[in-house]
Amino acid sequence: MSVGHVAREIEQAGIATVSIYVRSFRHVAEQMGVPRTVITRNPMGRPLGAPGDVERQKAAFEAALQLVESARSGGALQELEDPYRPGHL
Amino acid sequence: MSESFEEFRKSFSYGTRSDLSFKFLKSMSDEQAARFFQQLLESIGESYDTGELDPLIQLAYEAQIGAHAPDDTPFRWGYEDRPFTHIRKPLHESRVGLLTSSGHFAAGDDPEPFGVADMTQQEAEDRISEFLREAPQLSAIPANIDAADLRVRHGGYDVRSVRKDHNVAFPRDHLFDAARSGRIGEVAPTLYSFTGAAAQGRVRKEASQWAQQLLDDRIDVLLLVPV
Repeated sequence: MSVGHVAREIEQAGIATVSIYVRSFRHVAEQMGVPRTVITRNPMGRPLGAPGDVERQKAAFEAALQLVESARSGGALQELEDPYRPGHL
Repeated sequence: MSESFEEFRKSFSYGTRSDLSFKFLKSMSDEQAARFFQQLLESIGESYDTGELDPLIQLAYEAQIGAHAPDDTPFRWGYEDRPFTHIRKPLHESRVGLLTSSGHFAAGDDPEPFGVADMTQQEAEDRISEFLREAPQLSAIPANIDAADLRVRHGGYDVRSVRKDHNVAFPRDHLFDAARSGRIGEVAPTLYSFTGAAAQGRVRKEASQWAQQLLDDRIDVLLLVPV
């Protein structure tokens, strides 16, 4: 919930924000009106992907950038379909 | 020692068996938790033969989602409005910042919660209820910090993953890669993190001051990562 408050305040101050949430918190992002949200199907504590899974981490990061470019109103949300997988450390 | 099943599953949430990856067992019913354990054991039995861990991971992931699913109790921090700011310029000309609730800070700049120097992860977990009553402290982290000088401590989640690879929740390296490739204009010189386990009303209050800091930093786009 903390990031929901921060996203709202900073967006209202005039800075475009995008947040990467794990699936368990999807309803929090929706109900708090987070401006732009990318949802990853990862366990909690691993929002971008597994440690060492550079490919999935980059995919989540790029999805966030694309959402910044494409969103036209608040509450934009995209859920990525890739399931979690362990990385290579 | 006699222990009920309810006491057993709750002990994973800041109890005698505390494990922040499985603290969700506390929010399950006895029936749900029993079914979870049964399926888990069945899946382990399968993995003896297949060697595949994906079904185990999927089972735990789905149990976590189920335990966090909204119930009938009203959500205290719901809002009707949907704040939105249009981007001012293309991303390849934008200064992009990062703010996470992962509890990162720079070595030598420990926020020292409750005045405690060098607080351990274990102590942060032990004092979680105190954190939840306090205002959050924002840590400023130089974007070009050596990875070896990046610290993390947070009593609310399993920090083992981010300690193995900070980019899991603090994607500093991906920001720099995006700047190098020209996908974004530049990385903000200062990145930020705080411990998201804090009093929510006070987070909201602090955040309006943080916004001013980010405006002073001339950030065009901010990436936020909750844990």
